[in-house]
Amino acid sequence: MWDGMLSGMLTGISTTMIPMNIAMVLFGCFMGSLIGMLPGLGPITAVALMIPVTYGLDPSSGMVLLAGVYYGAIFGGSTSSILINAPGEAATVATALDGYPLARQGHPGKALAVAAYASFSGGTISVIMLMIFAPILASVATSFQSADYFALMILGLTAVSAFAGRGGVLKALLMVVLGLMLATVGTDQTSGVQRFTFGSLELLDGIEFLLLAMATFALTEALSIVLKRDESSDSLKPRTIGFKNLKVTKSEFKQIAPTIGRSSLLGFIIGVLPGAGATLGSFMAYGMERNLASPEEQKKFGKGSLRGLAAPEAGNNAASSGSFVPLLCLGIPGSGTTAVMLGALIAYGIEPGPRMLTANPQVFWGLIMSMYLGNVFLLILNLPLIPYFARLLAVPRNFMVPMILFFSLMGVYLVTFNDFDILMMVIFCIAAMALRLMNFPMAPLLLGFILGGLMEDNLRRALLIYNDSFSFMWERPLTLGINLATLLILVFPMIRSFIARRKGGGKPGNEVVVEV
Amino acid sequence: MAREKVGALVMLLFSMAYGLMALKIPLSFIAQNEFFTSRTMPYALAVLGLILSLLMLILPTVDPEGKKHLKQVTHGMDWKTAILLVVGMIFYGLVIKWLGFIISSIIFLMFGFYVLGERRLKRMALAAIPLVIFLWFVMSSLLGVYIAPGELFYMLGIL
Repeated sequence: MWDGMLSGMLTGISTTMIPMNIAMVLFGCFMGSLIGMLPGLGPITAVALMIPVTYGLDPSSGMVLLAGVYYGAIFGGSTSSILINAPGEAATVATALDGYPLARQGHPGKALAVAAYASFSGGTISVIMLMIFAPILASVATSFQSADYFALMILGLTAVSAFAGRGGVLKALLMVVLGLMLATVGTDQTSGVQRFTFGSLELLDGIEFLLLAMATFALTEALSIVLKRDESSDSLKPRTIGFKNLKVTKSEFKQIAPTIGRSSLLGFIIGVLPGAGATLGSFMAYGMERNLASPEEQKKFGKGSLRGLAAPEAGNNAASSGSFVPLLCLGIPGSGTTAVMLGALIAYGIEPGPRMLTANPQVFWGLIMSMYLGNVFLLILNLPLIPYFARLLAVPRNFMVPMILFFSLMGVYLVTFNDFDILMMVIFCIAAMALRLMNFPMAPLLLGFILGGLMEDNLRRALLIYNDSFSFMWERPLTLGINLATLLILVFPMIRSFIARRKGGGKPGNEVVVEV
Repeated sequence: MAREKVGALVMLLFSMAYGLMALKIPLSFIAQNEFFTSRTMPYALAVLGLILSLLMLILPTVDPEGKKHLKQVTHGMDWKTAILLVVGMIFYGLVIKWLGFIISSIIFLMFGFYVLGERRLKRMALAAIPLVIFLWFVMSSLLGVYIAPGELFYMLGIL
């Protein structure tokens, strides 16, 4: 096992350490930080916006760049959370709980530095765990058959709903189904029959995943800023924020070190669970740290506690790496962002899953090693650059919103050169905006859409192997085990609400509501 | 009606329409005798969509955010600007083929800046023109991607 890992690491190092890929990691971290820092824009949008740039690159460079963007966007989101209390996305909401008060107390530099150190440590610890566990899981997964894959995809899609928070299960499931429905548009690959194309030539190849990702995330987020009259960026004057003191004392380091260790471990485990992702990782880490703290220490939480800041930062970074485990080993995304990355992998012609380790080791290991490099770059580059990055937060929305819209539309148009795609994006954007206003989450839709085609193929194949019988769902012990896990996940929210009702007399408890 | 219920109703109608359209998916004679056809997955999804949206309509709304009415949520929103931006995007999609990438993109960006309240023409031009030209240069000269000029130029005999 160790030999395989060592040779894999060497493959990864040789892939990552070429000047082109180092530049890609650097560029990805930089762009991710910039985009992630903009209020309202999270890692999904950042990754989706950067995908068109990667189409001209070879797959390993493309994935290396996207991983850098992912990390950078999470770090960038923390910066806007700490400085202006405007989390770019749900995963950095917990960071704002203590980061913003700390910045308001006159220590923005220290808050950003603690966030940077915690992110670096969380990311590094989880990358090491990813290096150990991903190949093991991938080697086990090589024995998987179509039936297992179909069951795994059902598990992944169901898990997204289970973590959707109080009252969000049905909504998330409905969005998964909608995503699967959209995936059926176009020519059926097996029979060659046209489905839901309405005679349009443009729909013969189905809906472009990038188009859907941009329309449901980037465009709608930009329009949300306008609709909600969000002027948080207009009110910031970064020059008035002091960054003189980025120093963290030795005693403060001692205070946050165990927090970072615990939160990283928890974050990684949560990240591995399909559908959980960085948001749950950060909130769980914050919750755990608050529960572990002494009553005296607990009072400081929410008022600028260093532990309260370090925990979610380490947790969300570790979970981000953890979410790569199901993506790389099983071809099933663990979060909305990895779903977009899965779409990118498919677009590069790479089949994600256990065979990726043997068929494309340079992409597999290159990605893992680039994550480590990305963490280092983020630490050594972002700390000194924070004051300059923060100025971006002061770009007025008059300029920022049209530019986001332009880059989103261009991102799709410059790949397909089809003006019909722009119009289709607008239609999807309006539909997604309406669904958002009705409180429906978008990430499950994207997950369903990306897995739709694969799921149908695997189901068709499994039925063919088992003579049109659904007995494949229980005949193989592995498939049965996965299906039982799915069932457990479906029952989990019911058990949770039952326990909450028993504990709190029917009132909602102190639980974390997560938008996946 | 709670906004979640409105969403469930929309999804119910969508699932019904999707299911009805799935009936029209053409099947060859051989395919008609197969167990799994091009219609199977859409049928299953339509049924699932119907069940889930009906469950959402019947069961009480638990999420406090979902209980809010649409009117309550949309109150005070800047619809005028958002609609103008959507119109701008549609217009951009319609004219890009005719005016070409550079001109239509500059118009779109400057329209967007204007709609969002910017009135300094010089600033708008300085933000839009260099950005579009830089992007065009990167795509066409550095990455070697051919971006066709607008068809209008061919029609007018300029190109």
